[in-house]
This record gives sequence, C-alpha cells and structure tokens, in this order.
Amino acid sequence: MADQLYLENIDEFVTDQNKIVTYKWLSYTLGVHVNQAKQMLYDYVERKRKENSGAQLHVTYLVSGSLIQNGHSCHKVAVVREDKLEAVKSKLAVTASIHVYSIQKAMLKDSGPLFNTDYDILKSNLQNCSKFSAIQCAAAVPRAPAESSSSSKKFEQSHLHMSSETQANNELTTNGHGPPASKQVSQQPKGIMGMFASKAAAKTQETNKETKTEAKEVTNASAAGNKAPGKGNMMSNFFGKAAMNKFKVNLDSEQAVKEEKIVEQPTVSVTEPKLATPAGLKKSSKKAEPVKVLQKEKKRGKRVALSDDETKETENMRKKRRRIKLPESDSSEDEVFPDSPGAYEAESPSPPPPPSPPLEPVPKTEPEPPSVKSSSGENKRKRKRVLKSKTYLDGEGCIVTEKVYESESCTDSEEELNMKTSSVHRPPAMTVKKEPREERKGPKKGTAALGKANRQVSITGFFQRK
Amino acid sequence: MTTLTRQDLNFGQGREAGPAGPGAGASGPAGFLERATGLCPPAVVADVLCEFLEVAVHLILYVREVYPVGIFQKRKKYNVPVQMSCHPELNQYIQDTLHCVKPLLEKNDVEKVVVVILDKEHRPVEKFVFEITQPPLLSISSDSLLSHVEQLLRAFILKISVCDAVLDHNPPGCTFTVLVHTREAATRNMEKIQVIK
Repeated sequence: MADQLYLENIDEFVTDQNKIVTYKWLSYTLGVHVNQAKQMLYDYVERKRKENSGAQLHVTYLVSGSLIQNGHSCHKVAVVREDKLEAVKSKLAVTASIHVYSIQKAMLKDSGPLFNTDYDILKSNLQNCSKFSAIQCAAAVPRAPAESSSSSKKFEQSHLHMSSETQANNELTTNGHGPPASKQVSQQPKGIMGMFASKAAAKTQETNKETKTEAKEVTNASAAGNKAPGKGNMMSNFFGKAAMNKFKVNLDSEQAVKEEKIVEQPTVSVTEPKLATPAGLKKSSKKAEPVKVLQKEKKRGKRVALSDDETKETENMRKKRRRIKLPESDSSEDEVFPDSPGAYEAESPSPPPPPSPPLEPVPKTEPEPPSVKSSSGENKRKRKRVLKSKTYLDGEGCIVTEKVYESESCTDSEEELNMKTSSVHRPPAMTVKKEPREERKGPKKGTAALGKANRQVSITGFFQRK
Repeated sequence: MTTLTRQDLNFGQGREAGPAGPGAGASGPAGFLERATGLCPPAVVADVLCEFLEVAVHLILYVREVYPVGIFQKRKKYNVPVQMSCHPELNQYIQDTLHCVKPLLEKNDVEKVVVVILDKEHRPVEKFVFEITQPPLLSISSDSLLSHVEQLLRAFILKISVCDAVLDHNPPGCTFTVLVHTREAATRNMEKIQVIK
C-alpha cells in the first residue's frame, strides 16, 4: 500500500498541479534517499505509459559516461530530453549511468525551469542538503566564517591554476552554481575541488565515476560555492549540451560583473531605503504643510524650542514678513488681523518693552490673509477662528502669552465681529465704559477676553482664560 | 540581469495582486507583492512590479514562440535563469509600455495587466492576466519580505515556463499586445484631467 502512495503523490504533482518533479525535489518532499526518488520516478513513468500511452508526460534523463572527443577521453554528464536520449547514449563510449532526472507535463524549451524547481527547495533545506544525498564526504565540516572567506580566495586561485592546465578539454567552463550567498556551502567546494585536483592526473573510469557523482552534486547546485565559479575545467567534460546552457548562464552572469551588480541592486538597494524611510517620510510630511504643523504646535503651547529645521525656515519667513509689515501699522494691540500664531510666538520670547508687565503680549499686526478672513466669514454660523491668548512658561522662565487662532463653535458671532471692530479703536480711547476694569488690569489681552468682558462676565471668568 | 535598473530607495506601502504561491494557480491570473505594514512606498512597489512584468512578458514571448527563439538570451533574474530578448526594438517597446504603466501602479490605479497573443487576423488567441490588488496588512520584517517576494516571483516565472502544458499551440504569425485595465476611479480622474486640458 505504501508503494501506491508515492505513485499517487507523483501523479498529483505532475498532473493536477502541473509541477516539474525532479528527483531531488521529490526526495526532499517525500523525505527519501535520492536513489529511491529516482526509482520512484522511473516506476511512475513506466506505469503511466503502460496504462495510458497517450499520457502527456515529458521526461528528462541524466546520462553520464565517457566520451572520446578530439582524441581525448572525457567524462560527460548531461541532462537530456527523452527524444534526444538515444542520440546522446550512442555518442558515449561507455555509458556509466542513466536515470530519470525529472517528469513534467509541459515540454520544456530549456533547462531553466529545472534549476528553478530545485532552487527553492534546496534553499529551504540548506542546513541538511546532503541528508538524502548519495554524496558524502567525511572531511566536509562547516568552517567558521572568517576562515571561509580566506578559503574562498584560495579556492579561486586553485581554480585558475587548474583551468590553465586543462584548457584543451574545455567544452564548458562552469563548475556549478547554486543558491548564491550561502555560507554553509562555501566550505564544501574546497573538499570537492580538492578531490578533483587530485584526480586530474588519472582519468580512469573509476575516478571519473567518483568525480561524476561529485559533479552531479555540484551540478545540482546544492553545495557548490558560486563565489568562485569553477573556471574549473576538470568539470568541463562533465556537462553535456543540455546542462551546458544551464550552467553557462550562471558563469556568464557571474563573469559579467556589471550584470550581477544590476541584479543584486534591486535586492540590495531595496533594503537601503529602510534606513532612509523614517527621515524621508517625516520630511515630506513636514514640507507639505508647514503652516499647519506650526499652528498645531502653537496650540499645544509647548514647542518654544524651534529644533526642527522646517519650522525654523517658516519662522524666518514669518519674521521677514513681520519686519516688512511692522512699520505700516501702529497699534500693537490689534487682533483684527489673524495671522499664523507662529509670528507671535517667535516674537514674544524676545522681551517686550521692559516697563510693561511680563504678561503683556507683543501682538504683531500683519495684514490678514484674505483666505482666513473669508473662511472665518464663511464659518460664521458654525465655527469661528477666534484669536485667543494663551499664557505659559517658556524655557527661559518667562511667562509668555501668545495669541493663537482656535476654531471655536461660536454662539454669538455677531458680538465677536463687533468686538473686533471696536478693538481697533480701543488703544487710543480707553474710555469704553463697558470694560474699564478689565482694560486697566490687562489692556493688552486678547480679543476673546474683551469679548467676554463685554458680555459682563465676572472677573474670575476673565482670569480663567489663562 | 534584466535591463531594468530603476530604483527608488524608500520604503512605503506595498501592493499585492491575487493569490499565488509556488505551484499554486493556473497560468492565468497572478501577480502580487506583499504589503509590509507601511514599509514599501508606491515607487518601490511600482519598480518591482514593472521589473517583474518586463521579465514576464519576455518569458511569455519565449514560451509561446511569438518570436523565434534565436533572439532570446539567457539572463538571470531573482537568481534563476530567464529568457530575455535581445532585439532592441522589441525591448524598447516593452520598456516604453511599462514605463507608461508605472505611474498608474504607483497610484494603485491598475486593476490588471494583460498580455494578449493575437493571431494574424488580430484576434486574441491567448491572454495572460496579471491581477494587481491591495493585500491585507502583514507584519513581516522587510528583509524576510523581500526574500519572500523574490521566492514568489520565482514561482511566477516557473509557472509561466510550464504553461504550455495547459495551452494549445499557437498558429504561426502571432503578435502580442499589452493591455492595462485601470480601476474606475482612475478612468474618471484621467477624463477630468483631459477635460481640464
């Protein structure tokens, strides 16, 4: 019964999910040894073909054997499509091994998807990538990272040396490829390449077999460090045409530094933005609405220190405006012209005339932005922007009163308007009988305060304003 | 190594399109980009999507044999080999098309991008639909997000590669076109802009 289960599994993968099932992928997925996976695939193909000869099934095989080329005997390992299998087999002098490499429903045009299939499953199993593998090396133990970087340099040098030796046999130029940047695999190639170096001299069948299995390991890209891509020309003979394209890509890609950088840039550079984000976002929001930000700050009445560059800039702008406008208007108490309260706040810490009480604000007169007026006019009915003064203790220990505009639902808008108009005349003629007391005590308080006074509230109500 | 190198180095909101995972889904709707909680800005997302769409279009042209295989060359993207065209005019055409799509992607106005294969009489024979939607917020760190995204894009490429298992052969002399379906709001906005102009 257990035998049937794997057949159903493979059937599901291939037929229902339209996946490419390589023997390596199958061995990781089902948790079986690679040789068992190969056997499973073969079994499945045989049964399927027997049951239904018209089944849409494409199979690729891994063929390896010795080949005589240009008078040299070399070992060839190739992944070939089923239709080319016989042709390749006939070229080999001795066929060392043939096994099913993959099964899929689609007719693949090139070997790229085969690599793609194995890539992710290998990446997720990097820690135990040789768990189900037929290739074992007792000497291959993980290195410390510091050692591995120095060893990879030696690895490159040894590769170049070997490449010059075996130039004649170069059909292919890559030693394998693999998931990039995996520390664990960087130590394995040294062991493998060491073995190749020792076998370079003797090209017997047996040694070829061993190197072939190692080549397969490398081929299947589980262990080869790709930082130093084997211009390793021991390996050149191991790859048939089908595999060649697969690996040449990676060699080309690795050789072309520019291209690699471009590829890596998307992944690398995308991480960089992370750092720039908080600052970037913050700045953009600040630049968008400096006025509102300032107004909010002023409303809170806490931010006297202009630590932010944005607020300083706007402050400077406002200061400049104030300087221009000041000579034009005489009255210092007018609150008829509602302007951004930032103006007031910046000026108020600079000490007002000494004789006046510290509570005295220094109202600045600036031409009222028409928009504010119109908006307040429009909001007459419901909410009104009212100039209120807020008193607080600033950093220097001075009590500062600032005038801020707050929206306030206004029930007696008419009176507010009247107050505004009357306040224009207030400074010269302190004879408004309605508010004698309040004027003496705090003649320079905000309009709102005056408004309240006109409404005949008690004096305690006046002080609550603070 | 695709030809796309544009990068905008800020993180902001991400985008997602449709469900897709390694081995899931048919060779039809796809496209996604996961959204980290406020990590990916629209510009980065649009860049990544445009790059992916460029690779996908090239791969579709290769797999469906719209153009002879001779013009294609193996390149590496998302750490796997992909086929990209070397023909300058074709590349320019695809790049220009996606360049126009990018602002719409940034504003999340794109509902789907469709690659249509047309026969000689300009009748559609096949459609490859990439749906683009906003996913729910995910709390993933940006590093794992990126590697996860790369993995999923690899799955896309794999799916496109095996799509001929479920598709019939195309007649000879096919051409292709790229259609961009925008959301309704975008159409209205564009109309508004045009009226003002």
